[in-house]
Amino acid sequence: MGALAAAIAVGLAALGAGIGNGLIVSRTVEGIARQPELRSALQTTMFIGVGLVEAMPIIAVVIALIVM
Amino acid sequence: MQQYEYMITRQRKWMFYLLALLVLGSAFTPYPRIFLGLLLGTVIGFYNLWLMQRKIQQLGKAAAEQRSTKGIGTFSRLAAAAAAVLIALQFEEYFHLIGVLIGLMTVYVVIMIDFAIFRVKD
Repeated sequence: MGALAAAIAVGLAALGAGIGNGLIVSRTVEGIARQPELRSALQTTMFIGVGLVEAMPIIAVVIALIVM
Repeated sequence: MQQYEYMITRQRKWMFYLLALLVLGSAFTPYPRIFLGLLLGTVIGFYNLWLMQRKIQQLGKAAAEQRSTKGIGTFSRLAAAAAAVLIALQFEEYFHLIGVLIGLMTVYVVIMIDFAIFRVKD
């Protein structure tokens, strides 16, 4: 049961991170393709967004491995 | 191209300062297990930070040149965090597990503080 709980925790966290990262990356790529001169600012915003989004699945992975 | 590169340099600098403090703490304080855990977590977190910076740089370059690129390395980062925890679980007498977790999250604190401080300046 512990392995199942870990799998559900990591899977749901990865699902959320996948959706969030997809939204962030799609908007950034769209913005950079429209205005390549704004690349640096858009990359910075994307970096912070991806960083914040990915904190949650990393915590989920760690907690899942601890409880497993 | 400057804003992103300045941010990368600043974050790298803060991470190196932090790593130096943790090395000093693990060598000269009576709590080496906690500091080694923090050090392991921070090293893996630093790797995650470097990978994220590199992948986002590649993605931005590819988007500006209308090319495609291969992912942004999410799976590698999750695997690195899992590796850190597995190392800490395997060698529990050397690494404090909560320290590893806190060390892994340090990088996000650095990103947020850097963003909060330099949002206005850049």
